[in-house]
Amino acid sequence: MIQDVLFYLFAFMTLLSAVLVVANPVSRNPVTSAMFLVLTILFMAGLFVQLHAFFLAAVQILVYAGAVIVLFLFVIMLLDLKEEQSRRIGKLGSVLGLVSVGVVFVLFNRALSGLPAKVPGATGQPSLEGLTAPLGHALFKQYLLPFEILSVLLLVAMVGVILLSKKDLR
Amino acid sequence: MSSIDYFQLLKLAGPEAVLALAALAVLAVDLIWMREAPIRQRQGAGAFVSILGCLGAGLCALQMPGFGSFANGMLVIDPLTLLLKGALLVLTVFTVLLSVDRDFTEHVGEFFALILLATVGMMLLVSSEDLLMIFVSLELTSLSLYILTAFQKRSALSAEAALKYFLFGGMAAAFLLFGLSLLYGLSGSTHLGGIAEGLVGKENDPLLIVALAMTVIGFGFKIAVVPFHLWAPDTYQGAPLASAAFVASGSKVASFFVLAKVMMLGFAGVHGDAGWRHLIAGWAPLLAVLALLSMLLGNLVAIVQGNVRRLLAYSAIAHSGYALLGVMSNSGEGMASLVYYTVTYGLTTLGAFGVVALVEERTGSASLSSFAGLGRRSPILGLSMMVFMLSLAGIPPLAGFFGKFYLFVGAIRTGSPNIGLVWLVVVAIAMSAVSLYYYLQVLKQIYVTEESAATVDVTGETNIVTCCAVGALAVLVVLLGCFPNLLVGPVLAATGSAGL
Repeated sequence: MIQDVLFYLFAFMTLLSAVLVVANPVSRNPVTSAMFLVLTILFMAGLFVQLHAFFLAAVQILVYAGAVIVLFLFVIMLLDLKEEQSRRIGKLGSVLGLVSVGVVFVLFNRALSGLPAKVPGATGQPSLEGLTAPLGHALFKQYLLPFEILSVLLLVAMVGVILLSKKDLR
Repeated sequence: MSSIDYFQLLKLAGPEAVLALAALAVLAVDLIWMREAPIRQRQGAGAFVSILGCLGAGLCALQMPGFGSFANGMLVIDPLTLLLKGALLVLTVFTVLLSVDRDFTEHVGEFFALILLATVGMMLLVSSEDLLMIFVSLELTSLSLYILTAFQKRSALSAEAALKYFLFGGMAAAFLLFGLSLLYGLSGSTHLGGIAEGLVGKENDPLLIVALAMTVIGFGFKIAVVPFHLWAPDTYQGAPLASAAFVASGSKVASFFVLAKVMMLGFAGVHGDAGWRHLIAGWAPLLAVLALLSMLLGNLVAIVQGNVRRLLAYSAIAHSGYALLGVMSNSGEGMASLVYYTVTYGLTTLGAFGVVALVEERTGSASLSSFAGLGRRSPILGLSMMVFMLSLAGIPPLAGFFGKFYLFVGAIRTGSPNIGLVWLVVVAIAMSAVSLYYYLQVLKQIYVTEESAATVDVTGETNIVTCCAVGALAVLVVLLGCFPNLLVGPVLAATGSAGL
């Protein structure tokens, strides 16, 4: 019971703050949007906790709500975004957006209503408990190859950022 | 959780590992020992190490310990994927040769390293049957290509091209990821075979249609088909030449192969039918629409282009339309024709870009008029360009003709009733005739139009490495056209053994 209440609370708050990130009726200040993004991430971490993914929840808060958002705020303040405040979402854009949200909603609704109440084969317990040891096993055994490729991808990103942002001296 | 043999995995991913190490070596050589050397020397050293890396990777690929599907389908080693890896390495070597002795950047080491890392991504892409791995290696390739496009930091065009490519690419990646996650949710598997099994009985699920559409949008961007082609002309025009050539050749080969694999293996049950008056919902009609639009728009818009790079971009869009026929054939034969077609197309387009590079260096622009009198100025270059253009148009006995021939035969022989895909093949042949017009426009400039003041040699020096590479590519295109069995034989044998 309390589980269900918590789930609906977290899910609703995640959605609400996500909407407020992009379409805040009161403030169009980018910093406010970033702060609502922090809220979205925090509530999403709550959902992770309910899935028993404790480590993921902690990482979500530490890395995303902490480090990444600080970086976002730095960029926003450095760029001093003024135009964003005055820019309005066009009529066509909002109508198209609403229509596509409606279509996605109907599709998901139809797809989910066709499912049996309990998916066959699903046990109540998640197959991967959310502590670090099983995660490490998954990363270094089952998903070793993509994990290693991601390190190459990060190298590419690093080389690219240094190259593109560096001033050529000569 | 089963334990895995790390050493064996390293051996199986040997070619990619060697190439990644070579990329690090290029960076190290350039940044540690060659810092003070003149740029030409640094380029020579970088290209030398890169080509050594490609050779090492090729040797490594020849000594595979065994065939099969490893690490839950994340790494599939069979003759077909090895063949594609070899082809990608050849394309990479030529791209490296095309970037030697060009002064578009001072960051030589980074340039070659990124080319090698993009190749690592492409090689992993062709040898994977797992959604996670496909997405990660696709991103590795794309990210490297975005940066390669932006390399000419002094040119505003290059920055514009890179920004467009990056923004479109980011959107496409988002679509692809959404599509793939829906697919995983529907089927409960990330392995292509498992997905096909999981989708049995769900053919009419509305979510499947969304997943299919989003996946096609994501890949459609990579292969630049209408209406996801908008980035292509600007990228081809603004990017540094070697980058543009690489985007047009290597990434096309890899993306087409993986698209065909996802469609043929993952969406095996929802093929549908695109036959004339026999439409059945599925991915075939979806791709048929994209192919039709690409062939029409690509060829018709190419006619009015005054810049050879943009002309090549629209011709690339049209060629993507033809190549989709191979995917739609949904058979081993279709796959074989697709591989032959994309590989020979990659070689041809690399060569064409090489000639454009030389002309650009001499006259300072890639406009059609700057090709005037090329046939008299340097007969070998003119002849090579003629080979490339006629091959792109599909004139026998060049490689492009046999590529199209196999594609069309494969499409006609698909199992659909009535006349099947023949309607699309008829459009393709008609559009090939249209394409002859703009390819011949280039040749008219080269051989008929008189040299004008604008085309007078500015620099007076010729880039010997590029000339040799262009010559070798022209010989390859003629050779593969005269003896198509050199490539078709192994490809057919490989698709046969891959069980497609």
